[in-house]
Parts: sequence; structure tokens; C-alpha cells
Amino acid sequence: MPEAILKWARALAFPLAVLAALEVYARTIAINSDALAPPTQAAQAFLQAVSDGSLLAATGFTLLGAGLGLLVATVLGIALGILLGLSRHAAQTSFLSVEIFRTIPSVALIPLAMLIFGFGMNMEVSVVAFATVWPILILTQTAVRQIEPALLEVARALDLSPGARLAKIIVPAILPRLFVALRLAVAIALVVAVTVEIVANPYGMGYAIMIAQQSMEPALMLAWLLWIALVGYIVNEAALRLQHFVARRMGAMP
Amino acid sequence: MSILSFENVAIELGGRQILSPTSFTVNKGEFISIIGPSGCGKTTLLRAAAGFVTPSGGAVRRRGEVVAGPSREMAFVFQDYGRALLPWRTVEGNISLALEAASVPAGQRPERIRRVLETVNLAAHARKFPAQLSGGMQQRVQIARCLAQEPEILMMDEPFGALDAMTRESLQDGLLKLVRNSDLTVLFVTHDLEEAIYLGDRVIALRANPTPAQPSLAAMIDVSIPHPRDQLSTKEHPDFLRLRRELYQFLGHH
Repeated sequence: MPEAILKWARALAFPLAVLAALEVYARTIAINSDALAPPTQAAQAFLQAVSDGSLLAATGFTLLGAGLGLLVATVLGIALGILLGLSRHAAQTSFLSVEIFRTIPSVALIPLAMLIFGFGMNMEVSVVAFATVWPILILTQTAVRQIEPALLEVARALDLSPGARLAKIIVPAILPRLFVALRLAVAIALVVAVTVEIVANPYGMGYAIMIAQQSMEPALMLAWLLWIALVGYIVNEAALRLQHFVARRMGAMP
Repeated sequence: MSILSFENVAIELGGRQILSPTSFTVNKGEFISIIGPSGCGKTTLLRAAAGFVTPSGGAVRRRGEVVAGPSREMAFVFQDYGRALLPWRTVEGNISLALEAASVPAGQRPERIRRVLETVNLAAHARKFPAQLSGGMQQRVQIARCLAQEPEILMMDEPFGALDAMTRESLQDGLLKLVRNSDLTVLFVTHDLEEAIYLGDRVIALRANPTPAQPSLAAMIDVSIPHPRDQLSTKEHPDFLRLRRELYQFLGHH
């Protein structure tokens, strides 16, 4: 147990030192700064945002936007990835389109998404989905191509129906890698959702941090920044744990 | 009674003739060993019999019907047991796959799984995952899965090639006992002369790089050594030694 405490103390030493230095700097040299605020004031602003409900609303919007976008991308990406992984013909037909579309920076799609969907949830979901569908598609396709050929022969030898082959061989075989893809996509989804809000969408955490900046509230801005970092850390950590859990579960050793 | 017939079966892969036109028939309940040096096409011949490979000339017929693809009447034991088992399913789950493929009602599966596991002496390991078993046990799981589909022909591609000598002998004896107690027909590919003679009712020897003057089918020899066979006395039997010498000369070396 003391070792665990020591480990955490070591990991936290640097961030705490930075916060302390910022506190001292903001209270001595950079008093009245429009850019920097002492972390203690950021904490007060944070509590204020918690109590007036704006924190929950903004966080909920961003997470919902990122989550729904990810859901759409996961369904589409896995379905297309399996198709392209199984069919050489489909892969050859679509490879150029995939290569061209996936290099479009997702941020460049914001103007188009705004024209189609206007402001709001749909627009954010569409941009997040566009940004995350490619890594999921490509990792799924690769995973399907790398399924142990012997397993596919077993499926043939047993004369499994196409549906059973998919459900009992292909999907379980690629599942650990699907969760790797999902973890990568989770990180992208959150970044893109916040970006969409900073650039265009008047909702969510990205918008909140922009408003704090524009209304010259460095304490609130710092509070949002730290909160976004914390939410990002928690979401990514959860995705990583899920990935490890699935890898253990499907990798044979219980 | 003939159950499987090869009628001038020839196989080309990538423009190279692997197997020159080869004809022979297999009788019900017979144990055929197929032997030959690396690259002689013995595995390809077996895969053609199982319907994995379409011959470039001639045809394989099972009960008079041309074999056009894999069928549940023919079970295939792959050499690489480690890859042919689903790592995410337990031993009983792996065997269940064959029953699911054959649409055996869920209620009947546990009893049938128990029966085949007893046949291969793995009843105590039903809940384990393949990675928790030794190589010999994993291969027995694969054999059990093949038995569960209740085939009339068992095709085995060097099934014991990767196992140590002790395990190999014990699996040979287990297989012989199992086959003698059933009316299974077996096609057994091996590169081990002694194994071929010890197990087979008939040994088919193939040669590599066939020419019209020297076709793939180098020799076909009946093994009349009586059953039950025994690792010591059978291998000291005069017929065994004579066949061993005869085949050794056919193959040059093994």
C-alpha cells in the first residue's frame, strides 16, 4: 500500500508544482493579467460553474456529441471495415475513395456541416463521425485481413452459414483489435467535439472556454481548461481499461 | 464398398504441376496413410479430397457425387492445432461450434460434447481454454470437434507432426482404438514412414516433381499386419520391417 501511495505522489508531484508556481506567479508578478489567473481563483470559478449547472450542461453536451458521433462511426466503420477486409474486390474498388476522404481534415468539414445541419447536436455528431470513422474502418479492415486463415478454413470445413461465420468466427477474432480502434477513436472524438465547439457550435465545453476567454475571465477559462483535461483523461483511461479487459477476455487466458 | 474415389485427379498451383493424374479408391472403414517427401502434394491431395481445393483435372467423388466443396460428412483435422481452435472458447465451446454448425438443438449439445470428450479422454478439461492445454491435448480437442460433427470420413493432415515422440505414440494408439470402434474412414497424411505403416490399412506413397514416366502415385501397399497394433510388437513384426524397407527405397529417404 505505501508503494501505491508513493507512486501516486511521484506522478502528482510535477502537476502540483506547476499549479503552485502558477499560483505564486499570478499573485505576485502577473497581478491583473488578462491571460493568467491563480489556480485557487480557477477553483472558485469551477465551483461556481458546478453550482449554476453550466458545467454539467456543457460537459453533457460535449460528451453526448462525441459519443453519438462515435456510435455512428463505429457502426459504419465496423460494417464497412469487415466488408473491405473480406472482399478483395470491394477493397480495390474503394481504396482510392477511402484514401482521399480520410485525408480531409475534419475541421475543414465544419463549414459544410454548418450549412447542412445548422448549429446544434447534429452538426457536431456529423463532424465527429467523419473524423472517427476512418481509423475504425481501416483498423477493422486490417484486423479482418489478419484473422488466422486456419480459423476461416475451420469455418469452411464445418460449413458454417455466412451469418454464423460472421458472429462466431470473424467478430470474436477481431474483437480485441476493435477495442484498440475504439480507444483511439474515443481520443479523437473528444478532441474533435471540443474543436467544433470552439470554432463554431455555440454549445458544450469548447464554447464555454471560448466565452470565458472573450469575456475576460481568465479564472473561468483556466477552470474549463483543467476540467477538459480531466474529462479527457477519465474518458481515455476508461477506454484503455475496456480495451485491456476485452483483450484479456478474448485472448484466451482467463 | 468404395466411399471415396479419385479419378485422374491432377492439381496445378501457380502453373506448376503438383499432382499428376492420380486414381485410387478408398473403401468404407479403411485407414489410408498418405506419405511422401515435402512438396509431393500429399497435403494438396487431402485438401482436394476435403473440397478445399478444386482439382485442375479429374474429380474426387464421394459416394458417386463429385466433391465440389467442404461438407460436414468429411471432417478435417489441421496440422496446426494451435491455430485451428478458437482461443476465446473453452474446450467444450470449441466442440460446440461443430454442433452449432450442424444446427444440433442446444438441449442435445452438452450430452454430445460429454461423449466426444470422453472418447478423447478430455472430460476433466471441458472448461479450460486451449491455451491452458498441452499440444497433445489441443490436438485431441480438435479431433473431438471433428468427431462431434459425426463425419463418415476423417481427413488428417500431419496431425501429430508437431508433437513429441511420447505424445505422438499415445495419440496414435488413441486414434487407432477410436477408429477400430467406429466405422470411420480415415485419410491420414504424414511424412513419417513408421507412422504411416503403423496406422494404415494401406499406404499410398507419392513422389515429388512427377513426370509422365514417373507419376505422383509412386506406390500403393496393403498393410496386413494384424490388429490390435502395439508400439513394440507391431514395429518388430517382419511385415512391418519389410514394408518399411520397401517404402524407404521408394521414397529414397524420409
